[in-house]
Amino acid sequence: MNRQTVLVACGAGIATSTVVLDHLEELIERENIKVELVQCKIAEVASLQSNADLIVASTILPTKYSIPALSATAYISGIGIEELDKEILSYLKK
Amino acid sequence: MAVASFIKESLVNVGLKADNQDQLFNTMYEKAFEQGFVKETFLPKIKERESIFPTGLCINNYSIAIPHTDPEHVVEQFIAVSVLDKPVTFHLMEDNTKTTEVQAVLMLGLNQPHSQIEVLQELMQVIQVEDHLEKLIHAKDKADITALFHSIKIS
Repeated sequence: MNRQTVLVACGAGIATSTVVLDHLEELIERENIKVELVQCKIAEVASLQSNADLIVASTILPTKYSIPALSATAYISGIGIEELDKEILSYLKK
Repeated sequence: MAVASFIKESLVNVGLKADNQDQLFNTMYEKAFEQGFVKETFLPKIKERESIFPTGLCINNYSIAIPHTDPEHVVEQFIAVSVLDKPVTFHLMEDNTKTTEVQAVLMLGLNQPHSQIEVLQELMQVIQVEDHLEKLIHAKDKADITALFHSIKIS
């Protein structure tokens, strides 16, 4: 099976996506799954989605995408982290 | 304590008076621009970004916002802190159809994408630890803010 790719996006690709990326790195290491994480700006997601499996965005999602997309504000606010972990894993452990 | 080095006392404002988000951004920008932390483009860009990707966070009983924009508008990295005299309405980061009454604003002036995870992790400790958030919102002066950020440790 090919390694799955997750796009980690925020508005600027600099602040909140870095926090989300860091959290996801820990999560996939803990779960021992092979996933490639790509940090990007939300504006870049449209052109990158064809080579990816999941979008995790720290901001609102401005449009619909062809692959599943989740909002990861929980990792910023600290509320609902475990639920979001589970939801993300449900897409990755197929 | 990495985050503490980003807190510039000259960019801390306790009891800031602003009627709305526009006024708040103008005031915070003016201080940062006067001191050479940002370019002129920072102001229109941070307003634009906030309108498309809002940064209001409602955490239990508290509301804060973390406005920021693209790195090219930042000259020297900083985190500007404003504790508001009365709340200002922001849209929520996860849902821009909802608003929250923000009590404190952490304006992030970052320009290095990958080298600052420690700073961001510590910043998240300010947001996610209720005791820290309470200290931020109830700060009485600049010294309270500085002390709070110096007390942050990554657990």
